[in-house]
Amino acid sequence: MSTELIFVQLVNGIQYGLLLFLIASGLTLVFGVMGILNLAHGSMYMVGAYLVWYFVSITGSFTLSALLSAVIALGLGILIERVLIQRLYNRNHLDQVLLTIGMIFVFNSLQSILWGNDPYGVAVPDTLGGSVPFTDNSSYPIYRIFAALICIAIAAALYFVVSKTRLGMLIRAGESNREMVEALGVNIKSLYTIVFAIGVMLAAVSGIIAAPMRSIVPGMGESVLITCFVVVVIGGMGSIKGAFVGALLVGVISTFAAVLMPSMSNMIIYIFMILVLLVKPQGLFAK
Amino acid sequence: MIFEKRTERIFLAIFFLIALCIPLFLEDNSFFVGKATTILILAVFVMSLDFLVGRVGLVTLGHALFYGLGGYLFVILTPEYEAVNFWVYAVYILAISALIALVVGVVVLRTSGIYFIMITLAISQMAYYFFFDSLEFGGNDGLFIFMKPETSIFGLNFLNLDNPTHFYYLSLLAVLVTLLAIKITLRSRFGRIVEASRLNPERTEALGYNIFAFRLISYIIGSTLAAYAGLLFALQYGYVNPQFMTWEMSGTALVMSILGGMGTIYGAILGTITYEGLQYSFEHLSEDWMLLMGGAIILMVLLLRKGLAGYLEKLLEK
Repeated sequence: MSTELIFVQLVNGIQYGLLLFLIASGLTLVFGVMGILNLAHGSMYMVGAYLVWYFVSITGSFTLSALLSAVIALGLGILIERVLIQRLYNRNHLDQVLLTIGMIFVFNSLQSILWGNDPYGVAVPDTLGGSVPFTDNSSYPIYRIFAALICIAIAAALYFVVSKTRLGMLIRAGESNREMVEALGVNIKSLYTIVFAIGVMLAAVSGIIAAPMRSIVPGMGESVLITCFVVVVIGGMGSIKGAFVGALLVGVISTFAAVLMPSMSNMIIYIFMILVLLVKPQGLFAK
Repeated sequence: MIFEKRTERIFLAIFFLIALCIPLFLEDNSFFVGKATTILILAVFVMSLDFLVGRVGLVTLGHALFYGLGGYLFVILTPEYEAVNFWVYAVYILAISALIALVVGVVVLRTSGIYFIMITLAISQMAYYFFFDSLEFGGNDGLFIFMKPETSIFGLNFLNLDNPTHFYYLSLLAVLVTLLAIKITLRSRFGRIVEASRLNPERTEALGYNIFAFRLISYIIGSTLAAYAGLLFALQYGYVNPQFMTWEMSGTALVMSILGGMGTIYGAILGTITYEGLQYSFEHLSEDWMLLMGGAIILMVLLLRKGLAGYLEKLLEK
């Protein structure tokens, strides 16, 4: 492998890792604060991608479509939490798993009813088209760089909200002691609604950003869900920092594996995850 | 009496009565006998999962690994164009599955809680991709079983696996054996300790029991039963492919067992029949059966606190 190829793959891996982080951050946030393992998280990623494709096909503007889709996703998150998730807080964790599996069925079915089962693609917006030269004979698409920057910006915003704002303080407090937060007069119910809706929106925004880079197909949510599990487990469930590190590791490792040992590439992240758990049974950044 | 609850006895009596008679009424309808056979085989798989999740406290999302292994081991071990003895090879396959479960168990049982769910998922995904990407095991298409095994015991041959009705009764026998095996295990001293370690691991450990060993043995029992179900399924349809091992397969089994009433064992049979029955009806009702199925699952979670078995018990127990 030439240095140049290594460099290109590294950039690819980081870019993929950043996208993975964005998806996984919502999953780990919801789990960390609310203790809910949302198996339908991947479906929200799918919803984001399909919505943006649908709106682009109507309006023609990617920016407008992206904003519209993100707002709809936020509303969807609030709705799901209020109507369904809220009823299961005092129930067994397995009931929550069952509920979110039911939601996967519903969303996959709605996708097929509303938009059919053909694969779709979203064109890269004109202003972000083209590529920048890397070296003499290789270049990198501008949209991918832009996507990576957006992911970094959202990661930074998430860090800022969680560690510096009042909402973040409540989130962190809710993570460590729910009853105490409630006793101090905080409305934990609406806090949970906000957190869940943010989680849904993060997944949908990832789908929106990924739409011009990947094909939009049925089942895209499930494959990304399992990869996200790997990411958050490596990092430590509930830890956003862990999700960040886990996502970059998984992104880089799977990108290199696809080049270096194609026959093993699908297995490699699972092997890596099992190794991590054998050394650290609670992930790298266990709480 | 190993069946403590009235509801359980009533349900099982009705179930076995109807199950025994089904082929008599549907003799000429091999499609329905085949469908019923599949449900019985799935019930074995779901019962083995219900035992692990509901009674031992090991929530696994990788149970389908062993379901697939049961099928793959048969095809890998047997010669392509020669009918082998079913019972002999069933013993081989279960023994190898138990060994694999021992190795996997030693690894996965180092973790607990949500990490246990995830590591079992990861290991079954690994196996899935191993078979999916392999050339020698047929990749995504899987492998075909050209010769069904013969089933003679000591020269007596009363079962013909090519006959759907015979296969049906073999599967019903598997349900009965699995049910009894799990129930007897749970009633034994071993089972009591296993349940104690689910309810209060610290105290059980303090009493001097090695929880790890008890969980490991339970994991091997549950996984081996799953492998038997997978073997039957592969033989019924004459093939095995990586789809046997998907996480959706594990997830669906988990759904069936939670629907039926986690940890009740007989609820697993109830859950499997209900799920398969609903899916079959919805598929015939509409192209968008998944919407109805998802809606039904969500409704049942919201309405039933302890699954269908819990609901029945509320009606029948005093």
